[in-house]
Parts: sequence; structure tokens; C-alpha cells
Amino acid sequence: MASSSSGLTFKLHPLVILNISDHYTRVKSQLHPPPSAHGATNGVDPSPSPPADPPRVYGCVIGVQRGRTVEVFNSFELLYDPATHSLDRAFLDKKQELYKKVFPNFYVLGWYSTGSDAEESDMHIHKALMDINESPVYVLLNPSINHAQKDLPVTIYESELHVIDGIPQLIFVHASYTIETVEAERISVDHVAHLKPSDGGTAATQLAAHLTGIHSAIKMLNSRVRVLHHYLLAMQKGEIPCENSLLRQVSSLLRRLPAIESGKFQDDFLMEYNDTLLITYLAMLTNCSSTMNELIDKFNTAYDRHSRRGGRTPFV
Amino acid sequence: MDIEQKQVELIDYFVKQASSLNGPALSPLIAEATSNPSLFAFSEILSVPNVLELEGTEYSVYLDVLRLFAHGTWSDYKSNAGQLPQLVPDQVLKLKQLTVLTLAETNKVIPYNQLMLELDVLNVRELEDFLINECMYAGIVRGKLDQLRRCFEVQFAAGRDLRPGQLGNMIKTLSDWLTTSDNLLHSIQEKIKWADTMSEMDKKHRKDVEERVEEVKKSLSLKKLHPVSRLTLTSEGMRKSTLNLAE
Repeated sequence: MASSSSGLTFKLHPLVILNISDHYTRVKSQLHPPPSAHGATNGVDPSPSPPADPPRVYGCVIGVQRGRTVEVFNSFELLYDPATHSLDRAFLDKKQELYKKVFPNFYVLGWYSTGSDAEESDMHIHKALMDINESPVYVLLNPSINHAQKDLPVTIYESELHVIDGIPQLIFVHASYTIETVEAERISVDHVAHLKPSDGGTAATQLAAHLTGIHSAIKMLNSRVRVLHHYLLAMQKGEIPCENSLLRQVSSLLRRLPAIESGKFQDDFLMEYNDTLLITYLAMLTNCSSTMNELIDKFNTAYDRHSRRGGRTPFV
Repeated sequence: MDIEQKQVELIDYFVKQASSLNGPALSPLIAEATSNPSLFAFSEILSVPNVLELEGTEYSVYLDVLRLFAHGTWSDYKSNAGQLPQLVPDQVLKLKQLTVLTLAETNKVIPYNQLMLELDVLNVRELEDFLINECMYAGIVRGKLDQLRRCFEVQFAAGRDLRPGQLGNMIKTLSDWLTTSDNLLHSIQEKIKWADTMSEMDKKHRKDVEERVEEVKKSLSLKKLHPVSRLTLTSEGMRKSTLNLAE
């Protein structure tokens, strides 16, 4: 696919990505309920293996277009009618009207779907939307998890009129985009990123998850500082002309270190550390004393029967 | 960082002016640059060749003034006051602001006494007014004023122009920072491994205890047919299983 030449810059909000992935997850889990939903009559009844291709979900993206910048803020879902290969038009219009009342500035900018690549059938839907927006955007999310891939599996396509074999045709072309966040979005994305596995209840897995988060954050900081270091080294050797403004910023940054060395910090930190240790100790003591209590009860029950036969054994 | 952005246009303007003027005309330009309320960076102007030519001529005092503003403090000015031209109040204010920046370079917590000494201010009220109005509202410094302990905690201070030797120090600091964060990453990984190992051990121990309880239960149910020795076995069995649990 060629890359877009229309010169529009696209800004994508993380809310859209979360919406699409949520929609897809919901549809997928509703089609293939997890094994725990099955009765225990046959013991563990594994669900039928899901068909090879998970369902595609469709929806509309809305946002604002200011000049050459297209900013995609929100999205909503649409029903796809596989019989007629078209989207539910009445529903789209109704939804659009509702959204217009709440967000008067937002227009329908395009549509989204899931899958690994743009297909030919998508072009029909694209053309259908062209009467709302002359050049809709197509946001494609790839739901297959690829651990080796570093970027987001989201691609934005635009349609362009190309002449192929003498026939002018609309084809999809890649467009680059940036992620843009508002403060509120950043908080929710942060919250989602810190989700701990709720059934991984052991303390060890939660600790490991937390530490892994810190580890990746420090690694990123490390790589950025390394870049600065190389840059300064090169400047010292004279390979790069001295840029004073940058040097000033770096020197002001370095002066903020060491960030946590002051005496006050040590006091507060040690106090909190001791408090946590004490509480853990107290909890452990309570646990031990309750177990001891149970043990003694059992002992007493055992010896009690013995003592009724004859003689009395001292109680523990 | 926004201070740098605010200054960029000013710096460009002054550099252009400096390259077009020459000799004596540069002195009012230098005076203008040093009194400008938003300009705190002078090394770009210092590197313009026309300015450097002033060295050694009768106007070299202006070059010295520029150098003073780039690297020096208010105390430097006072000790050399004889050789340098008189400064207008705007320049005095700017020099004092730059002095605060230099002080913030060395310590993060600056006692009021030192500030009052360096800035020639006699009481705490004046000092705090100066810090709040001239430094914090200008955005060159961010921090907390601690009146009880009579010190100023600096959280952020804009950078001053670099002396030639400072680049080496900065590189060293950066490499120290990198080593520390590398060590930290390493110890975090070890902690993660430790947490996993401990949970493994705990699971194994739990399994062992369960197995022994099962064994003892089985041996108890087998021995139900011998009522006479039952009592001894009961207490023996209970003791064994409870000992295991208490482990």
C-alpha cells in the first residue's frame, strides 16, 4: 500500500483504541463463552475450539477536522449486516444525531474495523460512508497479539483515486498518525496499564507485576538519558556544533539530581518503612495466635476424651 | 524549558543586531540586552565575532560586562566595580536574578543568610519579595520557601550559560546517573526473580504438608480396627500432623 499524499495530519485519541478493543473483546467473548460457564456435569468441559477467524466488528469514528489536522476523538459501534454487506444506516443516523447534541463540534470522520489487513469488501463500506464525509478515514485494529511488535497495531487508511489499468479506482493508502491525549484520558490509560491480574492472587505475582512496571519505566528513562549522554559526548568532541540553549536545559535538568537525598526524605521513608513492617508483623502474630488457638482446641478435644475414661489430665 | 522558548526570539534578534553593528555601536546594544527582563542567556551573543573583536579595545569593558552577565554574580560585580561601567537598575535586577540561579547550581537548599549576603538584602521580607516577584513569577526558579528553617528549597532552576569546563562535569554526572539506573534495573530484576523463587518454595512446602497430612489420615483410618492402641495413635498422629503445620 502506498503512503498517503494528501498531507493531512492525523491525531488519534487513546479512547478510540480502547473503545475498538473493548467492542472486539465483548463480541468475541459473547460468541465463545469461557469454559467456566459450562456445567460441571462432565467434570471439566472444555468449550468448543473457536473457529479460526474471530468476528470482525465495525463502528464509526467521530472527531474534528481543523484545516489540515484531523483529530479523532471518539467512536461508537455499528451493526454490520453480512447479507447486504452494508452497515445499519438508520442506526448510524440516529447515533450521529444523539452525539451531535452532546458534542456539537464532532463530525463523522470515518469508520473502524478489526482485522489484520484492509480488504476489498471494506471499500464498499468506505464508499457508503462517502456521502457523509467526502474522504472518510478507515481505522484498522489488529487484535492478534504479537509480542515482538513494538508499535500499536492500529493503522489508519485513507482513500485515494488512483488510475490502475486505465480505470480510476479508489484504493486504500496508509496514513501516519500521532497519539494525542487530554489530561483525563492520560489518567484512564494509566489506570488500564496498571491493571493487576485479579485472579493471580498470590502476593508474589502482584509484586512481580508491580516491579515489572517500574522496571520498564526506568529502562525507558535510562535509554533517553543515554541518548543525551551520547549527544553531549559528541558535542564535546566537536562533531556537533554547540547548541547553547540545549546545554542550558541539560544543565538545569542535571541540577535537579540527586532528587531524593535530603535528610527529610530519609526520615519520612524510614518511618513509613517501619510502619509497614510493624503492621505485617502484627498481622503475622495475629495469624499465629489464631492457629495456636485452633491447635490447642484440637488438643483439648483429643485429651478430653482420654481424661473422661479415668483420671484427669492437666489442660494445656 | 519554556524559558528557553521565550528567549529564542530575543536571542535571534540580538544576534542579528550584533552581527550588523560594529565597535562602539555595540555598547548600547549590550546595555539593552542585559536589561531586557526576559533574556537570561548571553552566550549566543558572546559568540558573535563582532562582539569578540571588542576584546582589547577601549570598549572591552562592555565585553567584560557581557561576560559578567553570562557567568558571574553580583559579588563579582561589587569586587570589580572600579573597572566596570555603572549598571542601570534593570541590569542590577537581572544580575541579582542570575546570582540566584548560580546559587541554585551548587545547593538545592539555600539558607536565607547566604541569599541575603549574596544579594545585599537586609531583611527576610525583602528577600522573599524578591524571590517571589522577580524569580518565581519570571519562571526561572521553582521551589519552596521554608520560613521556619530559613531556607529556600529549589526544585527547578533555569540553566545559565556554561563555562567551558562545565561540559565535562555534565558528562560525568550523566554517566553516573546511567550507572546508577543500570544498577537499579539489575537489582529490580533480581527482586522479581527472588519473589518468584519464594512463591515456588512456598507452594512446594504447602504441597509437602498436605501430602503428609493425607498420609497420616490414611494411617489413622487403617488403625481404626484396633481400639486399645487407638488412643496412643490418635495423640501420636495429632502430634505429628500438628508439628508439620506449625513448621
